[in-house]
Amino acid sequence: MIPKVEWAAFLEVADNLRLLQVPKGPVEGYEENKEFLRTTHHLLLEVEVMEGTLQGPESGHMFPISHGIPNMLLSEEETES
Amino acid sequence: MCDIEEATNQLLDVNLHENQSSVQVTESDLRSESELLVTIGATGPTGFEQTAADEVREKLGSSCKISRDRGKIYFVISVESLAQVHCLRSVDNLFVVVQEFQDYQFKQIKEEVLKDFEDLAGKLPWSNPLKVWKINASFKKKKAKRKKINQNLSKEKINNGQEVKINQRNVKKEFTSHALDSHILDYYENPAIKEEVSTLVGDDLASSKDETDEISKEETEPQVLKFRVTCNRAGEKHCFTSNEAARDFGGAVQDYFKWKADMTNFDVEVLLNIHDNEVIVGIALTEESLHRRNITHFGPTTLRSTLAYGMLRLCDPLPYDIIVDPMCGTGAIPIEGATEWTDCFHIAGDNNPLAVNRAANNIASLLTKSQIKEGKPSWGLPIDAVQWDICNLPLRTGSVDIIVTDLPFGKRMGSKKRNWNLYPACLREMSRVCTPTTGRAVLLTQDTKCFTKALSGMRHVWRKVDTVWVNVGGLRAAVYVLIRTPQAFVHPSEQDGEKGTLW
Repeated sequence: MIPKVEWAAFLEVADNLRLLQVPKGPVEGYEENKEFLRTTHHLLLEVEVMEGTLQGPESGHMFPISHGIPNMLLSEEETES
Repeated sequence: MCDIEEATNQLLDVNLHENQSSVQVTESDLRSESELLVTIGATGPTGFEQTAADEVREKLGSSCKISRDRGKIYFVISVESLAQVHCLRSVDNLFVVVQEFQDYQFKQIKEEVLKDFEDLAGKLPWSNPLKVWKINASFKKKKAKRKKINQNLSKEKINNGQEVKINQRNVKKEFTSHALDSHILDYYENPAIKEEVSTLVGDDLASSKDETDEISKEETEPQVLKFRVTCNRAGEKHCFTSNEAARDFGGAVQDYFKWKADMTNFDVEVLLNIHDNEVIVGIALTEESLHRRNITHFGPTTLRSTLAYGMLRLCDPLPYDIIVDPMCGTGAIPIEGATEWTDCFHIAGDNNPLAVNRAANNIASLLTKSQIKEGKPSWGLPIDAVQWDICNLPLRTGSVDIIVTDLPFGKRMGSKKRNWNLYPACLREMSRVCTPTTGRAVLLTQDTKCFTKALSGMRHVWRKVDTVWVNVGGLRAAVYVLIRTPQAFVHPSEQDGEKGTLW
């Protein structure tokens, strides 16, 4: 999944979560780099936010995460344009 | 592979007659038991026979014959591949063919027809199929009983030992489970065809199926085998019922083998499938599915995993594809996806908190199971669950490669009236998040009228390339395969010069 990862967003999230040892981007020859692959796999698939909040980048709206599930339903006032 | 293809070709060309003695092409190829070739029949969702055939070719290297008996495919494999056959995701049930009659001549008088069936029992080439059955039974020896699972599962007894792939598949089925659909209805959809299904043993008449849990076959080699006969019959010109055929054929089988008849605790299930002039005698390798409808289900409309698999195959997923089910319900499709297409990322979303919770629980169970089974130091599955509104997806425009979902039919979930508004809104939002040109959507619905109308207004973004007709829970439904056109999505408000964002 490496080619599909948005590294800027990934790094920002990792920073918010205060994760350590986060690769700054796909390194040269990453397909063979076991260390890189293991770390990235871990961060992408094994780290899970169980409780928290997501904030919309443009609107600033807050979306809660509970038991690992984010609730992205918009409230009535949010959907009114 | 060469041998198998040869055998398959021979099988396809052979026209069998009832009086011909053992015509198993495979027997002439037999060199040693380990190189035994057998014909396997597999049943799956009607409409997805080609998909199943593709999977067989891909995973087993065999080509398939698709039977007129809809929902069935036949292929030849070497008996060593038997375990792998149970790994097929597009089929529900497997059996080994004892003999196939393509143009069986039924006599006109019932007594004579039934006498023919009785005589048939002793003339069939049972020995190789029984060998296969035996090998297959050894896979199942330590299978756990299927239990009714509550919502927060992952309390499965996971067996040790020869955890052959069968168990994995069966347990997985419990997770993704099945809809309340009757499997038998999938065989014969046309109400004009008189259809009957009966399972009889000895002199007993067919009674209502044992709807409770499956019986595990935990006995060690029994002295006397127990059996039952299940007969599926369809066709207008038969002068007998499936009850009668099963009874008399079963009686003869009992006399021939000296087996004991037992309806519920059987070792061998003999299948007698009759479709017009085609008769196939087989031995089941999986438990026949009449009782499948009471197997645990998580939600009111859970899709069966074989159908989910078939739909995913239609999407033709490529590595790194982002695959989204925006109305996932209990997550049957993404979960199937995460197990088979591990190099893609699967997102399961629904607006209903109950559904999302169930999906998340199913994912959690899958995770636990994969950890236990594989004992890998690392774990983690490429799948996640979100609660969202299909009409306002928190996904960037053009970021999704594949959308695959089971649209509310409007029968058990939602309503027809609601669909008139919902379908166009869904298609629109889906077209926004789906990548132009390369993106695709595979959508299942029973409300085909509403869907067709909704689609007709979206030709600038969606192009229909295929329709597969299926049977879901006794209802005729369609799976639409759509390709996203190259046209970029234009937000209505952008057209007016405004730019609004909800996120």
